[in-house]
Amino acid sequence: MSALRTYIRSYMVRIIIIIGILSGLISFYFVSPEAVAVATELQTWNSAAAAWTLFVGIITVFARYVRSIMKRTQYWQYRAYGIVLMVVWVIMGAIVGLYSDLYQTAFYSTKITLHIAILGQLVFFFTSGVYRTFRMKTFRTAIYAFFAMLLIIGNAPWMLATFPQVDKLTYWLLENPSMSGERTLALTGGIGGAVLGIRILLGLEKGALRATEAS
Amino acid sequence: MPATFYLVEQIVVRGKAFQLIFLLILGILTYVAYSLGKHGKVFVIRPLEGLDATWEGIGRAAEMGRPIMVLTGISGLGEPQTIAGLTVYGEVTQRAVSIGVETHTSNTDTNVIAFSEAIAKSAYDAAGKPEKYMLGEYVRWFGGDQFSYAMGCAGYILEKKPVMIVFMGYFLFDVIVSMESGNRVGSQIIGGTLSALPEMSVFSDYLLIGEELYAASAQISQDRMVIATLAGQDWMKLILVALMIIGVVLILAGNTAIVNLMGW
Repeated sequence: MSALRTYIRSYMVRIIIIIGILSGLISFYFVSPEAVAVATELQTWNSAAAAWTLFVGIITVFARYVRSIMKRTQYWQYRAYGIVLMVVWVIMGAIVGLYSDLYQTAFYSTKITLHIAILGQLVFFFTSGVYRTFRMKTFRTAIYAFFAMLLIIGNAPWMLATFPQVDKLTYWLLENPSMSGERTLALTGGIGGAVLGIRILLGLEKGALRATEAS
Repeated sequence: MPATFYLVEQIVVRGKAFQLIFLLILGILTYVAYSLGKHGKVFVIRPLEGLDATWEGIGRAAEMGRPIMVLTGISGLGEPQTIAGLTVYGEVTQRAVSIGVETHTSNTDTNVIAFSEAIAKSAYDAAGKPEKYMLGEYVRWFGGDQFSYAMGCAGYILEKKPVMIVFMGYFLFDVIVSMESGNRVGSQIIGGTLSALPEMSVFSDYLLIGEELYAASAQISQDRMVIATLAGQDWMKLILVALMIIGVVLILAGNTAIVNLMGW
């Protein structure tokens, strides 16, 4: 039984990964309704598996929170509140339906409010980081700070009104050195990603796929 | 020539023939490099500062008796950056566990969470300490949203006070919150991504730029054959540069052959 389990864990997962990659590639590049059908079917299976793995996340959260509440660790009250909220949302979704006005309004009212709160905080986090990075300690950081300042001026209308000359320079910076850099990253990143895929197909990417190794 | 086009269009989806040829060439070059590696050829690649710093960080964490963290971002298993991040997570965890350092991680995708748990368990087994592994202790999930991940990781960092945080994978604005939280608890920050480079460059102590992330995932394994595949990648880049130069020259001469070929 143990040998069978080892076999399944070692080989079956690899076979599924290879079939998944090949069906994706074949359906993307070749005119083949059969390959498209296989890829679509696998996508459906992937969605079903993903729905089940959602429970792993929820179980993890519950396990930690319940342990924290029982041991009365620091901030256990917030964790208790979190668990109550999760249960309330699930019950509400089950009763009124996910696409009902009540659920959608409640969800977006909460989510958008929280997003705005975090977006507002980003400014403070960023300013703190920028202060450290843009201190002109070397010639290189001075150049970095100078060009960052130009871009800030170019993106702040009231500063641009004072220094209108910066406008063209800002666009030149974004459209030439910045764009070439971004395209280089996109090209080399694409090649790197493809080679990573080949390494997976060759069974060389052991670090990430160690999950499929028998333990 | 039109007959050839017609024939190709019957087999390959319109506009993707050039891409496919490129992918096949890349595959062949990578396989050739891998075979050379297998037959004993050693390809030397320059050391990546970020990786060296990672090993130092693990050692320092052991001395200080504090944990480390490897965050793999906000994308799923379909994203190559996440796979590269998970490779780094696996290797770092195994090395950290062997000297008694806890490694924590998180991701927005529940598939990745399940995968990370399996990697953590496997790393503890490989390090000969399976009894130390606890489900849900080293891998946490804070929801599927970018900002819930950012705030969750920030809280996680403030709680654990890791000596080093490695950010490897697909990230967006969430790194601003989590990296700055790391800076506030004095963690060493090592970043590696293709997606949020400007943000990471502001907050990181060491940064793996672009494809260095994939090179890191190969180099970290310290396997000769894995490192050899990077040579295939470099040969492909040389072909691309040559193609670009020829393309620029041809365009300047008023010839659009290369552009037409790419749209094939």
